Amino acid sequence: MRIDRLARGIGKGVAVAALLVWSLVPIAFVVTSSFKPGRDIFAVPARYLFAPTLEHYGALWSRWGVFFEGLANSALVTAGAMVVAVVSSTCAGYVYSRHKSRVLGASLLFLIVVRLIPPIVITLPLFPIVNALGINDTHLVLIVLYATFFVSLGTVLMRTFIDQIPRELDEAAAIDGAGRIGILWGVIAPLALPGILAVAVFVVVFAWNEFLFAFVFTGTATKTAPLVVSEMLGSIDGVDWGILFAASTVQLVPVLAFVIVMNRHLVAGLTAGATKG
Amino acid sequence: MPNRRPRDLLPLVAPVHVLILGVIVLPSVYVLWLSLTASSFGKAPVFVWLDNYARILADPAFRSALWNTIVIVVAAVHVELLLGLLLALLFASGLPLRRLLLVCTLAPYAVSEVVAVVAWRYLFDPDAGPVTQALHALGLPVLDWSFEPLHAMMLIALLTIWLHLPFTFVILYAARLAIPAELYEAAKIDGARPFQAFRRVTLPLLGPAIVVALLFRYIFAFRIFSEVWLLTGGGPARTTEVVAVYLYREAFSYNAFGTAAATAWIMVLASLVLALGYVALLRRQVDVDAH
Repeated sequence: MRIDRLARGIGKGVAVAALLVWSLVPIAFVVTSSFKPGRDIFAVPARYLFAPTLEHYGALWSRWGVFFEGLANSALVTAGAMVVAVVSSTCAGYVYSRHKSRVLGASLLFLIVVRLIPPIVITLPLFPIVNALGINDTHLVLIVLYATFFVSLGTVLMRTFIDQIPRELDEAAAIDGAGRIGILWGVIAPLALPGILAVAVFVVVFAWNEFLFAFVFTGTATKTAPLVVSEMLGSIDGVDWGILFAASTVQLVPVLAFVIVMNRHLVAGLTAGATKG
Repeated sequence: MPNRRPRDLLPLVAPVHVLILGVIVLPSVYVLWLSLTASSFGKAPVFVWLDNYARILADPAFRSALWNTIVIVVAAVHVELLLGLLLALLFASGLPLRRLLLVCTLAPYAVSEVVAVVAWRYLFDPDAGPVTQALHALGLPVLDWSFEPLHAMMLIALLTIWLHLPFTFVILYAARLAIPAELYEAAKIDGARPFQAFRRVTLPLLGPAIVVALLFRYIFAFRIFSEVWLLTGGGPARTTEVVAVYLYREAFSYNAFGTAAATAWIMVLASLVLALGYVALLRRQVDVDAH
């Protein structure tokens, strides 16, 4: 019996170790290699002890100013998409929570199904339309695209979270003379904050990291950080891995920290989003 | 409720529906029309029925892209499901520092496709990547992914599993936690061995979550683009191209919008067929809510 338990413990330990290696080693290599002297990055045999240096960050700063513009563009687009998605999803989620009818139920299913259309499909017609409207290479295009692909999930999540808020609170506020908008933003939204945060996590992670739409729809003025990193990766005159790792680290660390801080909301959102439809 | 007139609700639901209609629905319908016409820059479109579909289905590059996509979907999604299930069971069996380990497991969710490609291209660099060196040292075969299409596909599959395992794991783990502990106690009292408890209690009760995770991942794996584009660009010699990369090339490299649109609608149909399965599962839920 004790041997049995010991064997179980060792088995679990090995499994946990494998899990940590799998999840963290690729990330750890990117971050640590950004501090490695250039000659150590592809050393054979691989070098795990090295004198840390900031040379790649210096080179990134002096040679890739466009990367820092990309970070600013990413931040702007991410914030914009988050606000649009959160506000529109909260409004719609409130209606879907408080009013039930066949039409509303069908329209919610419609929202869920349509959002499963692959994004690349709509790049075809939107590319000429965006050009014709003269809004190519503006932040607005990415903000609208990123928000749109999360309003369905956002609406479903907000409905699920608002369902848990007693209707008596709406009624009490209405008796006090609050209008619909006052009830929604004064009473419901603060109580539905976990839902709002869950929606925000999804949109922020997606918008900060997205590649395809940024690749098709951005030009010199609005290039986002992932796109600049992909240009470093595809550079014809050889990849400078030190600078590439430094840029990757700068792109990765804020969103990784965000996911770590928000992990409870992410888990709650994933669970409710997939199973509550 | 204060008032129930639908007209008052409209401004609240309108933004979401305007976005979805304007950005997804109408453009998709336009793509359908585009897929039935032959058009190019500067020429008036001509209605050609299903010509574009016939042309791409006869194109060896499309067939190879479709085959590659199906291989990646089938291989990656099922391996991912198996790993996610094992992880969920590992976490449910009780771990010290559970929250910390959970956060570590979620970490790849935060990583962009671009940075993930940077990491995995480096790890598996055919000459000096740390994983390549480790495999050499252990006398194991290495992934020669820049020359061997099959190896490149394996690396793409690994990369996509790595990026999406957190999603599959969370869905399955949440479902596993929702199974009441009494069921396992009852099974134990009835003399069930751990494996029998898994077969008779865990697996059946996880069924719906497994189906949801699978459908979602089929849909999302079928549209795979960035991982392939950034890792191999579809090469060597278009051997690792997937449907989305084929679509992109038709549209933006060759300006062949008709065939690109036909490819797009094949992707839409595949996604919608899978989505119908998902809706069928949700339907009961929504119907129950409506009453």
